[in-house]
Amino acid sequence: MASQAGSLKRGEFIKYLGEIWQVQKTEFYSPGKGSALMRTKLKNVTSGKTIDYNFKSNESVDTVEVNSIEMQYLYKDAENAYFMDNQSYQQYEVLLSVIGNVIDYFKEGELMYVYVHNEKTLNIRPPVSVTLKVVQTEDAARGDTVSGAKKEAELETGAKVMVPLFIKNGETIMVNPETGDYTGRAS
Amino acid sequence: MKINTFGDHIQTYKIYLRMIQVIDHFLQENGYLKLDLPVLSPSLIPENYLEVFKTEFQYHHTKEPLFLTPSPELFIKRLLFEGIGDCYSMGKSFRNSEPNSPKHQTEFTMLEWYKVGKDYKFMAQEALRLLSAISNELVGKNSISYFGKNVSFDTWEEMTVAESFETYANISSEELFEPKKFCAKAKEKGYVTDGFSYGDVWSQVYAQEIEHNLGTSGHPTILYDYPVQFAALSKPNPDGKTAQRFEFYIEGMELGNCFSELTDASLQKKRFAAEDEERRISGKIEHPVDWGFIEILEKGFPESTGIAIGVERLGMIFTNSKHIEDLKLLSIG
Repeated sequence: MASQAGSLKRGEFIKYLGEIWQVQKTEFYSPGKGSALMRTKLKNVTSGKTIDYNFKSNESVDTVEVNSIEMQYLYKDAENAYFMDNQSYQQYEVLLSVIGNVIDYFKEGELMYVYVHNEKTLNIRPPVSVTLKVVQTEDAARGDTVSGAKKEAELETGAKVMVPLFIKNGETIMVNPETGDYTGRAS
Repeated sequence: MKINTFGDHIQTYKIYLRMIQVIDHFLQENGYLKLDLPVLSPSLIPENYLEVFKTEFQYHHTKEPLFLTPSPELFIKRLLFEGIGDCYSMGKSFRNSEPNSPKHQTEFTMLEWYKVGKDYKFMAQEALRLLSAISNELVGKNSISYFGKNVSFDTWEEMTVAESFETYANISSEELFEPKKFCAKAKEKGYVTDGFSYGDVWSQVYAQEIEHNLGTSGHPTILYDYPVQFAALSKPNPDGKTAQRFEFYIEGMELGNCFSELTDASLQKKRFAAEDEERRISGKIEHPVDWGFIEILEKGFPESTGIAIGVERLGMIFTNSKHIEDLKLLSIG
């Protein structure tokens, strides 16, 4: 489907140079000579390679229609993460180089949406928040009550995040997997 | 859109305020009169590459459109004609249809200063002296560090636009100045050129292949002698192909734009008409053209040079900031 580059959004999939890319970042730019440009960072869904490309903002870009299918994250190996469509029991794989660091925050069995186009997986849609247990963190010493102070905590997936000092071992917290930020205690 | 506040940016903001004080001091010490200018105008200099804000004066049954100025130039040039001499303004300019981004705000601070009787090459030296003055005042030496890269203000790295295209985009001068050849070369490189103007394709190649290299080798870069098509308000060079215009860059970021001011009324009138027509074709907001500006040129405008600098962007360099909001306490967006 043709769209104007100036209206591209982060997360959209486009065709460029005959391949499918996911828009990672967009920045509008008005150079003061000629028409406005849309700076984009694009990630190739086949190789995971990223490039920077400046489109003219009223240049036509082919956006790719995708289906979001809810799947269960099974496991990962050195190259791929593996998912299963719980309706069809079909298994899919997505390159780790395409998924990026968000994979560090996923527990096996976690449900999430996977973008699929013509039976091919493109990327996952990371959940806005994941719930993970703290398996290793120091007890904050008494008196450490400076607001905003943080300490490192290791989570059940092996990922490390910065958490407020009052978080203890064994507690379950919420994390934004895209940023790796602690967002609150799980109720 | 909403109003955003950034109380935690106060330390960076204070450095930005000091920079503004240095600018005021430098210009006044060098004989430039500070101007207090309106931001609303009933007519504008037509510029096709930007969009404007339109508002309305209302009194009883009287309604008249007014426009927020995208630059103070139309006011300053009237004062230059009146014989005000060397002068500057540092105030808000407004550009519509440009979403906020790390280097852009819809409402931003523009520093414009004009020197009578001089050209763009003079202004290049003056601008470098200003950068030195800011650096010496804020950090006590003639260089700064921007995200780990040293930038020294002892000299410019100088490059013509033609040299930059040869060096960074492998496009020869012959191809650069000939719109059809330029577009053909761009198409070979994979750019979409059908249905787009020379200016559109030029900007894209420039942004993609050249700009990020400028001002990255330890000194600010001054890029000068633009193709004459890209300098509607500047004097052409005797070669007929280039205009007396420069831009300057630090670490890939454009900070300022300068011309030897065009004083030829009939040429300026033609350019105004062309820009106005382009605005109409591209469906931009209509505004009365400032033909009063042309009248001034017809009466005799002093030879002069003017430079425009994005003050927030300059502030980003001197406060080691990556985002324009880092040095602001408030924004809308």
